[in-house]
Amino acid sequence: MKSKITVFFIIGLLIYLIDIGFNSDQNTKDIFISDQEITSLISAWKSQVGRNPTDDEISRIISNLVEEEILYREALLLGLDREDRIIKRRLAQKITFLKQESMADIPSNKDLTDFYTSNKEKYYIQPTYTFKHYFFSAENNSEERSNIAFKKVINNNQAIKSDPFFLGKSFSDNNLDEISGNFGRQFALNFNQVKLNQWVGPYKSSFGHHIVFVIYSKSGYYPEIAQVLKQVEVDLISFNKEAAVSNYIDQIKSEYKVIINPNLKFDE
Amino acid sequence: MNGKILKGILIAVPAVYLLTLSLIYLDIYDKRPVLSLFKNLQSDSSLELMDFSLEKPAAAKAMPLANKDRNAYYGDVHVHTKYSFDAYVFGVTASPDDAYKYAKGEGISHPLGYEMKLQEPLDFYSVTDHGFYMGMIQAYADTSTDISKQDFAKPFHNLNRPENLTADSTAERANIFSSVLAQTIINPQPWWHINTMKAYFTKNIQLALASFDYDVHKSAWEDIVRSANEHNDPGNFTAFIGYEFTTSTDTEGGNLHRNVLFNSSTAPIRPWTRIDSINPEDLWTWQDGLREKGVDTISMPHNSNGSNGQMFEMETFKGGAINRAYAEKRMRNEPVVEITQVKGTSDTHPLLSPDDEWADFEIMDKRVGSRPPTFSRPSGGYVREAYLNGLTLDFSGQGNPYKFGLIGSSDTHTGAGSYDEDNYWSKVGLLDGAAANRGSIPLSGQQINDLKEYSAEFNQPISTIDMNQGTYSNTGFTQWGASGLAVAWAEENTRDSIFEAFKRKETFATTGTRIAVRFFAGYDLASIDLSSDTLVSEAYEKGVTMGADLLNDDNQAPDFLVWAQKDKNGAALQRVQIIKGWIDIDSGTPNEKVYDVACSDGLSVDPITYRCPDNGAKVSIADCSITQGVGASELKTVWNDPDFDPSIKSFYYVRVLENPTCRWSSWDAVRAGVTPREDLHETLQERAWSSPIWYVPAASDIVVIPLGGTISLGDS
Repeated sequence: MKSKITVFFIIGLLIYLIDIGFNSDQNTKDIFISDQEITSLISAWKSQVGRNPTDDEISRIISNLVEEEILYREALLLGLDREDRIIKRRLAQKITFLKQESMADIPSNKDLTDFYTSNKEKYYIQPTYTFKHYFFSAENNSEERSNIAFKKVINNNQAIKSDPFFLGKSFSDNNLDEISGNFGRQFALNFNQVKLNQWVGPYKSSFGHHIVFVIYSKSGYYPEIAQVLKQVEVDLISFNKEAAVSNYIDQIKSEYKVIINPNLKFDE
Repeated sequence: MNGKILKGILIAVPAVYLLTLSLIYLDIYDKRPVLSLFKNLQSDSSLELMDFSLEKPAAAKAMPLANKDRNAYYGDVHVHTKYSFDAYVFGVTASPDDAYKYAKGEGISHPLGYEMKLQEPLDFYSVTDHGFYMGMIQAYADTSTDISKQDFAKPFHNLNRPENLTADSTAERANIFSSVLAQTIINPQPWWHINTMKAYFTKNIQLALASFDYDVHKSAWEDIVRSANEHNDPGNFTAFIGYEFTTSTDTEGGNLHRNVLFNSSTAPIRPWTRIDSINPEDLWTWQDGLREKGVDTISMPHNSNGSNGQMFEMETFKGGAINRAYAEKRMRNEPVVEITQVKGTSDTHPLLSPDDEWADFEIMDKRVGSRPPTFSRPSGGYVREAYLNGLTLDFSGQGNPYKFGLIGSSDTHTGAGSYDEDNYWSKVGLLDGAAANRGSIPLSGQQINDLKEYSAEFNQPISTIDMNQGTYSNTGFTQWGASGLAVAWAEENTRDSIFEAFKRKETFATTGTRIAVRFFAGYDLASIDLSSDTLVSEAYEKGVTMGADLLNDDNQAPDFLVWAQKDKNGAALQRVQIIKGWIDIDSGTPNEKVYDVACSDGLSVDPITYRCPDNGAKVSIADCSITQGVGASELKTVWNDPDFDPSIKSFYYVRVLENPTCRWSSWDAVRAGVTPREDLHETLQERAWSSPIWYVPAASDIVVIPLGGTISLGDS
């Protein structure tokens, strides 16, 4: 028994050595084209042209392939791949996907809690405002009319003649993003320090002028993790994917030395 | 003894197998009902449902109150990601999750590396990847999958060659896109294959294709459905499960593409695709089947402009007469049509509406996916003509299959819709993500040579054009544009509420701008005070709104109430128009007319030409700046049709026009420091279209006998 194993081992070793021997003097200028490669080219040709290539065409396809391979190798020898931004970016993309795919574990509860705690800002519920307003359309002298109306309203004179606003008169629980979506960014800024339960304004929007009465406001808060668990999980998984790449980069970054000309100046 | 049994089994198994196959063969090819019993053994995999809903804790933010006067919600229901066979060819790697993140306001990456981000988040979104071959090309190109080792997958391996991920590989990529539809799809397993039998018993032809891996397909669909359910946030953001039914006519390659939206978390285990059937009528049958099982869907045709006139035909798919049953089935399943998107606008064509000065707007006159780009016949491809033809069909007692509402969407293939002229990345990733490739700035010498080589290699005409400013790429992308959005008038931002708005056709379309428009018709709307806060609720009470019928009431003339508001970040409004279409009472001859009904800057409509005077708004092409202080922030009016006849079938829809602004091609040129290309429109007018209101006269006594007279008016 033992001797048989030894014999097989010796045969295997011989084959290995012979293989090394043959390959060691392999010419780097050899181009090996497999049958499979040719048939796949022919089928690609067929699917694009709609018929089988003629003999002439086949030999042209193969000589194109050979030429392409030669040019590719010479380009590599000349280092052309190293100067091409698109090739660089694509290769970087490929390794990024490889690294991301290897990190798809389901996070544990502790991971989730930790992630939530260190990213609380992301889950902050913005303050909201419930308010009504008088609208004065830019189509109808809004600045002057709103100023007159504002004086009336703070003197408790309710006979205000305003215009209908496209989105209505009352808005409940709008956060600043929603207010800015409905009225424009400039208008929303007024709410940062708005006074409650009194008429304020006039504020200019993209549509005219408004005088505003904020009925109540809910302050912003951080929700319990249970309320946003699913979102935290989704975010953590995608964070991990990105982290897999940046960790990988960090690991090997130290092996690289970055040299930048400190004296570079560029003209406008 | 054992040997005998074994022998028996060895003979019996193949014998039974062969017998079954021959019976199936008979069943498929022999129309006699000898084997109808066999049909009972079939299950329909396309109607097998699965509840994909997720357990989600209640949203942290309270759900806003429903608004009985309805809010305008802006969205895009036509978005492709890496799971679309062509998006992958275009170098797109964005996932459905990326797409929904983009809709919610986050930035995501274009295949060429720059960031795509919305100025303002959207309210709803649906990832609608091509149903057929969903997820498949990605698997072909990934050389580690089993399916990629098959012959038909080989052309796609090349896609991963780094030199192919450049913007210059346009021709090769476009070629693969066209050949997929024609070639790889026809690749059946041999007749004796076990999958052929499986395909028969589960009514799933896909299984019988060697080029198809059902597991890959289902996992792509599952990921799309999961992502929609995960991102759906009732009250704040709606994500619909959806996909594109990418069909075409088999004779002329007429584009009959439709998007399908689901109003549920439950969905079939696989989408119904063109491999099941290329006939849209079969899609509707499938939708009817799903509805019976409690899953409601709508399908939405798009790019009728590139259908070679076959989207809105006067006959059925197979050339039969349209009848009432057909019309009802079509309208039950396709309540809205996408009038505008990146590949052009399908309102009308200058040849169809010669008297409409605004008809020449973002016209895309080629058949979708044709190579070389081939002219698409306008008649039968535009919605205004379809509305008129619908009335004509109705006139001859065949029902109205073209009584649909309007939406817009983008059809982006990068996961991110491109809606702004001044921030445009077109549709197909690497192919048109840079200005020179989409033909808005001149090509460099190197780029011209590349294009010539590719054209020669793929037997295509050389797609460049010489202008005074230089040589431009002329691959058809110049006819594409930064459009569009779907807007629904809904009580709240939930699947149910928005889906119901689509079904009611209470929708409007925009070219990407956030114009808003209300539209009502009724017999007492003139009594509403236009400066009253209760204007909208009164209009709902006293009239009907967009998408509805206005029935004849004692031959009174109706009032039309329009109220349009500008996009707060866009140009001011120039005018509001009402487009009327009607047919002659005695012959069914179609007519149309465009009325300006409200003008900006206090100007009034000329009572003879029905046109607003010029408001003086201009665009400076040097830097794309526009005249300030001209145009309206809102326009509001009650209008009466000066030519109203109570006995005539008609429809009315609103078109709202902004002041002119630079087209994306001019923005590209300005940024590159060159003059805009002379053969393209330098400016355009962003716009919105409402769904029509149809006026329905009292029943007529006239008996219509169309020539031929053999149309079956009942069931087909």
